[in-house]
Amino acid sequence: MNKDFKLIIDNEDLESPPATESAIKDELQRWPLFGLSVGSFLQVIAMERQTCIMEVYLNTNHWGHFCFVEGELYDAVYGELHGEMAAMEMISWENVRLNIKQILNTSGIVRRIDKNLMLLLMESSRRRDEVQENGDHDHLEDADGIEDMEIVIDDVERAKLSACLSIMSKEMGDALTAASIANMNEGKVMASYHAPAEAAEAFLRLTKYLKNAFSANMSVELGDHFILSLKDQQTLVALMIGDYQWCVVFNHAKCTLGLLRNVIMPKVIKTLNDMNIE
Amino acid sequence: MNIQKLNVCMDILKKDLGEGFVASCIITTEDGQVLVATDQANIAEATLLNDATAFIRNALKTYPAELGQYYYIDVAGNMAVLVIPFGDYQWTITVNKKLVKLGLLLNVVLPAIINAFEDAVVS
Repeated sequence: MNKDFKLIIDNEDLESPPATESAIKDELQRWPLFGLSVGSFLQVIAMERQTCIMEVYLNTNHWGHFCFVEGELYDAVYGELHGEMAAMEMISWENVRLNIKQILNTSGIVRRIDKNLMLLLMESSRRRDEVQENGDHDHLEDADGIEDMEIVIDDVERAKLSACLSIMSKEMGDALTAASIANMNEGKVMASYHAPAEAAEAFLRLTKYLKNAFSANMSVELGDHFILSLKDQQTLVALMIGDYQWCVVFNHAKCTLGLLRNVIMPKVIKTLNDMNIE
Repeated sequence: MNIQKLNVCMDILKKDLGEGFVASCIITTEDGQVLVATDQANIAEATLLNDATAFIRNALKTYPAELGQYYYIDVAGNMAVLVIPFGDYQWTITVNKKLVKLGLLLNVVLPAIINAFEDAVVS
């Protein structure tokens, strides 16, 4: 992850943002991670348990920063705003420029945000939904409006599933090698942790193959999971839960299969169910 | 390959799994032909799982990772399938998951039969 951060580390001109539009345009094209939403990147930092300042630059009038300590959101600053209010303003920003500064000494950092990042993201999505609903109902009947709604719903779902992987990562520590959650019906990867998208897609295809093979040739249906023993003390567990396939690769010397199946997964699924109720 | 020892593998398996044992089959991965099979063995299943193993190996390259000693597939209802690919051979075991605990299968039975299987294959 640190390697990825290097791609976007450029703190030199944050205090004095580019003066001209052409300069901004040139600058944006240079950023490999341009186009990310703030919410997406916050989840990455939380998942990676980074201790850092994430500076966010939307335009010359709108910029601020988030402060993370071991993946926990401690504070946010945007103009005159601090803490949760600043965070809520900036979370909904899209297509931002990002700078990351590592924090070496956390002793002087004051925690102003107590709420879980996931709750803030959910609240932000809810506010966005409200604004959209109140703004123009006719829009929803247009194809564009429906598409926007689908994107919002998709974003909310992705945020929930990313939060689940974040919890899993915290519970499993360095035993967790990679994890992904993919929608089996749409063939879409919804959330991942150190797992390449093509791996999640490859395992969706494998599940489809097994389903077809079992039902067509053996007159039985595939159950809700399969387990692969891997080399180097790794195990892959694929779980089919509702519309989603969860693939978890972990070091079984550090975390047993029993612990994953009987303690960690139930906890993660309970969190997901709780979020769906909320 | 020692066929007598393969039969011993089957005997160990049946003894260890008791009533949880449903069927078993050992095939050659090259052509999917059956070497040893018990009465209830589903030959079509064993042959399809031979293809599934190749599929799994390819899918794992995307991580990248390599398949280890076994894989286990949950089947709807009471059954589950344990597959042990070993070089040119593949052993498929169908169990009644209601009667055989996964922990017992993977931590007790599997190590014992893998040793016996290796011994039979290299003999």
